[in-house]
Amino acid sequence: MQKKAGPLFYIFLVLFIFIVMFPFLWILIAALKPPSELFGERAFQFIILNPSFDNFVRVFTERPFARYLWNSTVVATLTTLYSITIASFAAYAIAWLSFRGKTIILRIVLAVSMFPQIATISPIFMFMQSMGLTNSYLGLIIPYTTFALPLAIWNLTIFFRKIPVDLGEAAKVDGASIWQTMTRVFFPLAMPGVFTTAILVFIAAWNEFLFALTLNTQEAMKTVPVGIVMFQGMFTIPWGEISAASIIVTVPLVIMVLIFQRRIISGLTSGAVKE
Amino acid sequence: MKLSEKQMGYLLILPAIVIILIIAIWPVMRSFWISLHDIRLNDPTKTEVHTSYGLDMERYVNTLPNLLRYLKKEADTAQGAAKEQLLSLRQQTEQMNATLQQTGEIAARYERIDQLLLEFKPVPNELKYVELTSEQMESIQSTLAAIGTTLDEMGKQKQLSKPEGATGVVQGISSSVIEPNYVGFAYYKKFLTDSRMWGALYNTLFFTVVSVAIELVLGLWIALLINKQFAGRGLVRATVLIPWAIPTVISAMMWKYLYDGQNGIVAHLFEVTGLVSNMGVLLTTKAGAMFSVILADVWKTTPFMALLLFAGLQTIPHSLYEAAQVDGASRVQQFFRITLPMLKSTLLVSLLFRTLDAFRVFDLIYALTGGGPANSTETISILAYKTMFAQMSFGEGSALAIIVFLCVALISMGYIKILGADLLGESGGR
Repeated sequence: MQKKAGPLFYIFLVLFIFIVMFPFLWILIAALKPPSELFGERAFQFIILNPSFDNFVRVFTERPFARYLWNSTVVATLTTLYSITIASFAAYAIAWLSFRGKTIILRIVLAVSMFPQIATISPIFMFMQSMGLTNSYLGLIIPYTTFALPLAIWNLTIFFRKIPVDLGEAAKVDGASIWQTMTRVFFPLAMPGVFTTAILVFIAAWNEFLFALTLNTQEAMKTVPVGIVMFQGMFTIPWGEISAASIIVTVPLVIMVLIFQRRIISGLTSGAVKE
Repeated sequence: MKLSEKQMGYLLILPAIVIILIIAIWPVMRSFWISLHDIRLNDPTKTEVHTSYGLDMERYVNTLPNLLRYLKKEADTAQGAAKEQLLSLRQQTEQMNATLQQTGEIAARYERIDQLLLEFKPVPNELKYVELTSEQMESIQSTLAAIGTTLDEMGKQKQLSKPEGATGVVQGISSSVIEPNYVGFAYYKKFLTDSRMWGALYNTLFFTVVSVAIELVLGLWIALLINKQFAGRGLVRATVLIPWAIPTVISAMMWKYLYDGQNGIVAHLFEVTGLVSNMGVLLTTKAGAMFSVILADVWKTTPFMALLLFAGLQTIPHSLYEAAQVDGASRVQQFFRITLPMLKSTLLVSLLFRTLDAFRVFDLIYALTGGGPANSTETISILAYKTMFAQMSFGEGSALAIIVFLCVALISMGYIKILGADLLGESGGR
């Protein structure tokens, strides 16, 4: 018995979507406004009299924004690749093999995913500084493990458990080794789960702020979130450029969300909802 | 070699466990250890944990010749008794150095570092620090103190040509002596009575409780509303995901613009509708700033909450509601007797993760208010960050970070006690 939606419901829906999307809409308008309309009496107008792409151009010509994008892409991609690889093995073992201590390991993984980043920052900062790893990609990828690996192990374990274990048993009966079972039977079935988890890890690494803020302070090594926050000067805040940069970062995320929404939602909710 | 299933299991899980131990668990323990020491990255003698007396050899090699040269120059220009006195001071200094170099290792290092410095090469860390016995330590300190006071007196009696240089050269050497910086639980004790710490803790709790409560109620309401057949579900789903997907700092910057006292449209709307007396109130008054931070957080995370609860709602079998309707239960009764109990574990898990996220809040406040005005939105993570990276006081900052850690541990233990085995799912099986 699912209730049918009435007209009142659609009004609510439109209102809801409008409220959620309004900040983006307004930022888009701000990004397209020339300074004369961004401030002063036209500041609150929806209609742009002289729209221009100046802000978008300036973000790339007057600021190293392309460099920030590249840094974020490198760090997030490498973090995702390596944590997914290690986590896949671990999650496979937890979900499909029988050995003692699995519950404890899973508990540790869950506990570590709750660690506040701030509690690890001082030794990690001092270590990276003494090893000369501040302002490097490796210097961010290593600490990103603190959240990426537990997130990946946790999600993958949940996904892998849903794959019927009988398939593994059947393979075993047919004489397949554990390695063969893993690579031939298991991984093809696990790919959707791996892919979903990779999206979640990538977004988490892309959005990370505290480590990036403290470890990579050189202009050429900053990631996107840190770079945008640092646009603000001592006395002025270049709202036009900040808006343009925010739009540039948001658009690919929106596209990704639109394409992968089902996967992302199943990844996000699988931990919280028991089916 | 053929491995058993058990061995294979341990082998596959080993890399993950080792990495988690090294990169997550060890740093937290290390943070605690650092919090027991007075570590300041802007003070060269306190940049790391020193458990015993030591000598910064690079600094020592650099500064010792300065003192010797100074004493020699003064002796050259001085007359009579003063000259004698300066020469004897020089001898004392050399003797101090000689006693120190009786330890073969120090002598060898002295040579190597001297050579490196001559060649303008950096001194590697492993050469830099040597441990000192407490006798060596006392001999250096007493000699330097004696030389310092003698030079001071001679300066007062106008026996020196450049008295102003004396303190500098002596202090140069003393600053190469490293003292143990263990302070025990001093920082924790200090925080017990520190009003700024309690203020930050209060702000964190206030922010957590209020924002999570609003997000829960709004999220549940939205989830219940969209739990029906309608056109455009995909659109709603995508809309809900976008605030979740964008970096928190970017949403914070967006809201900062919307709240802006001169050009912010939200501030303008609030002023027009009479919610605030003028646009500036939002980010420049204490209550306004806290309200702004909470609103921005609610905007970013309510959709996420709704999403989780919506997924939970979909697992409740319709037959339950049908049966309830047959029995004549009202909508309100259905909500409290069926929906809430069936949603309990989803609700608690979502609450746990939201509460922890809210308690650890950093990005949002860093970008939106920076903790101001007048520390009114300063949470404990922000305070820990400022202590570490603005004041460079890592020991003190780590103590705050450990306090955050303990609070987070308490919160999650509380939730897990209520949730029990639900959280780990069927991990006991298989």
